[in-house]
Amino acid sequence: MNAVLDAGSTISERLGATGTANALELKGVSKYFGALAALSDVDITVRPSERRAVLGSNGAGKTTLFNCVAGDFPSTTGTIRFFGEDITQFPPHERIRRGLRRTYQISLLFTGLTVLDNIFLACVGVSRSRFSFLQPGRDDALMASAENLVRVVHLEDARDEQVATLSYGQQRQLEIAMALAGAPRFILFDEPAAGLSPTERSELIEILVGLPTHMGFIIIEHDMDVALRVAESVTMMHNGRIFKEGSPAEIEDDPEVQALYLGGDDG
Amino acid sequence: MTDFVRRHPIWAAVTAILAAILIWMIFALWPSWLVDLIGKKKVFLNALFNGITLGGLYFLVASGFTLIFGLMRNVNLAHGSLYLLGGYVGYEFAELTGYWLLAFPAAFIVVALFGILLQLGVFRRMEGQDLRQTLVTIGISIIMADLMLWGWGGDFYNISAPSWLSGPLETILVTSQKRSGDLVYLKYPLVRVVIFLAAVTIGVGMWLLLNRTKIGMLIRAGVDDRDMLSATGARIQLVFLGVFAFGAGLAGIAGVVGGTFQSVAPGEDIRFLLASLVVVIVGGMGSIPGAALGALLIGLAEQFGSVYMPTYAVVLTFLIMVGVLAFRPQGLMGRS
Amino acid sequence: MSVFDPVEASHAAPSDGRSWLERIPVAYWVVGLALLIMPAIAGDFMLFQIFGWTFILGLIALGLMFLGGYGGMVSLAQMSIAGVGGYMVAIFGVSAIDTISLGWPWYVAIPIALVIAMLFGTLTGWLAVRTEGIYTIMITLAIAAAFFYFARQNYVMFNGFSGFNGVLPPMLFGVDWRDPAAFYYLTLFWAALGYLVVLYISRAPFGLALQGVRDNPRRMSALGYNVTAHRVAAYTFAALLAAIGGILLTWQSAQISPGTAGIGPAIDILVIAVIGGMRHPVGPFIGAFIYVILKTYAIDALVTLGLAGERFQLLIGVAFLAIVFWSPDGIIGLWDRLREDRKRDPLTGRGGEGP
Repeated sequence: MNAVLDAGSTISERLGATGTANALELKGVSKYFGALAALSDVDITVRPSERRAVLGSNGAGKTTLFNCVAGDFPSTTGTIRFFGEDITQFPPHERIRRGLRRTYQISLLFTGLTVLDNIFLACVGVSRSRFSFLQPGRDDALMASAENLVRVVHLEDARDEQVATLSYGQQRQLEIAMALAGAPRFILFDEPAAGLSPTERSELIEILVGLPTHMGFIIIEHDMDVALRVAESVTMMHNGRIFKEGSPAEIEDDPEVQALYLGGDDG
Repeated sequence: MTDFVRRHPIWAAVTAILAAILIWMIFALWPSWLVDLIGKKKVFLNALFNGITLGGLYFLVASGFTLIFGLMRNVNLAHGSLYLLGGYVGYEFAELTGYWLLAFPAAFIVVALFGILLQLGVFRRMEGQDLRQTLVTIGISIIMADLMLWGWGGDFYNISAPSWLSGPLETILVTSQKRSGDLVYLKYPLVRVVIFLAAVTIGVGMWLLLNRTKIGMLIRAGVDDRDMLSATGARIQLVFLGVFAFGAGLAGIAGVVGGTFQSVAPGEDIRFLLASLVVVIVGGMGSIPGAALGALLIGLAEQFGSVYMPTYAVVLTFLIMVGVLAFRPQGLMGRS
Repeated sequence: MSVFDPVEASHAAPSDGRSWLERIPVAYWVVGLALLIMPAIAGDFMLFQIFGWTFILGLIALGLMFLGGYGGMVSLAQMSIAGVGGYMVAIFGVSAIDTISLGWPWYVAIPIALVIAMLFGTLTGWLAVRTEGIYTIMITLAIAAAFFYFARQNYVMFNGFSGFNGVLPPMLFGVDWRDPAAFYYLTLFWAALGYLVVLYISRAPFGLALQGVRDNPRRMSALGYNVTAHRVAAYTFAALLAAIGGILLTWQSAQISPGTAGIGPAIDILVIAVIGGMRHPVGPFIGAFIYVILKTYAIDALVTLGLAGERFQLLIGVAFLAIVFWSPDGIIGLWDRLREDRKRDPLTGRGGEGP
């Protein structure tokens, strides 16, 4: 992955921050829609290279959590720190430019463009060429990193296909490629495995496990198998609150969790 | 109200002070320094009342526009043409029957029917495609403008108010004091006062209809959440039709009012379309109280502008619009 | 903005090994050659009035096509921006109103005019993008009206109702650029340049991102794009096209007055872009050609048919409505459908989608 760094925070700021700070630090984050609390008083701390799974039933607030962290909509209360920097008030693009990435559960791809163009757009978005009036040349660095990402997510065969013609599984892979554009420091994966076939699922796990080890992420996942294979720590959410945190083994053995979540799966 | 005071104490204080100054300027006998500063009180009062009554007229046009927009997301750029059509129809009817009052229902019915025709024949076929609908309304306004020019020519028509309304109204407001010590009272055209009161009545009626009746609830629900409405099924088409007809009819009535205040002529369609646009942008799209506030502001700005800074009277209204867009893009009463 | 969908797949990468010269479709050679030798065939009126005017209006509408087709923002202020360009050339350059005109040389006046027009366009964009979707059309219409009234009432700078006359192009290279053939080439040059630049930018990062913003602003934001800045920048670029068109328009009639940038002309630009089609930059020029032909000859045609010549507006209105009703993508939409019916084009290898 070609490191295409971006303005926004200076290098020294970043280096200073990365040394000590956590990748993500949420304190008292709540999100209300009218009177409805989709998230209430959430505290989460994730270390820079940590891989965390977020589990929970529908409506537990997992996607809302992502939306608050990535800035799709602002949280009602609380503070969010990204590598030490307070990003609570930042618009989404400023957060992305600082190295945060996310994928979407619903497909938000550009269906009229090709696979390569979608990834290229993602690469441009975190580069300085966002406003470039010049078409990429043959040896364009951004185009090269886009081509590279096509390979990372195993989409070589579909490189020049229009996204509208891709299979569902391929669209999920493309979604991941777009989150890997530029120099991500931390990624939020929103149910990347949902709706995939077993083969596609193992391909996905392979991609996630193969990510550079310094790259931390949070993954929302319904499928315990996927979650436990890629994550080293687990956060359980329930009704917009953090319910349990621990290692995969602890969570699996926790009787409360089993009653609430795993038990439901078996029965 | 108390909520507003609690949340914005400074703004509330400023508003209160301004209101107090205004009330004093309306009722007090002006000291000579004030007259030296901004001219005669009579001019000021006339501008004030002309602004308010013009605001009433703008409200009639803009409330239909904003209602149609709020419910159907249809930016009806032919709204000015509906206004002009109402003016011509009202003129013809008043001439034919000799009854000024009859011009109003006639204009309402004819323009409302025309609106029904538009909704059924055109807009219903492209529901949800707001840009295409807007383009269609531009086409319709071009065609209507030319057809009306064809039919009525380029002349100015004035719809004359009946004799019982044509005199001035003696008000209780003092404009100045003669040397003899007699007080001079402001005289104001009765017809403007009556029409303004009618506009207020219509406005209050609309507000009551929207807030106190079942059909009004349905319409407001539709403005807030259009998806919810489509779930209720076929009857929503009737509501759409009714609202479009009513909004168009209001524009028709406004045409008669405009023809009485001023005149009916080619070009007035554009003028009133623009007025509606600015009123609705300032007041907040889809909001009836917003339309009332916006209409009042724009009416006053236009009249005071033409009295106190005649060169840039029109520009003043647009400055207000730009200011609102810059600081409160959803409009004064609009929800973000 | 369903009118302009679906979007063509534009490709960011050079797709094959042929040189850029070889990749130019045959149609371009044919049209280009025809346009270049036009002065040998066509008369002065044709060159100056028909083609000159077509290129100018096409260029102004091209900015709207860029905003609307790629950015999903339909602005009615393009003609006002063109008007600002024309006015500024008259004010800073030379005109018959020498009490106001500063008489600066063209190489100072024209850049100033372009910059001011672009600032005006940027400001318009900044106001318009604060609200979403269909409000844009209302806000830009109101801004267009504001400019018209302001120019009409301001005598200090804009010389009020009568505006400026005697605004002429500079005698560069000893050529009288208002000579029909010279003016033809002048307008052809800028129109062609504008067309090619828009086509090029549509596949450059800025253009691709703009199309992304149109289709899915939320996603673009999550890819690191400042959606608002991108939209405003699109207005700035569109304003440059309009300003060039506005200066040419002023030179063509040698005058500029509030009526040039009135509400009628503002809507005409939209009509032109919609009739031609907003999916491809050739659309505005097709639309402008049809508009100019109708405007020039419809009156005669109507009179021969026994109708009053003034019914021109009716004709334009009906043509516009017919297009919006039956071919939302304009003439190029119709053309694409025709081509789809005849299967793929053997020369360019493309199907229904635009190049």
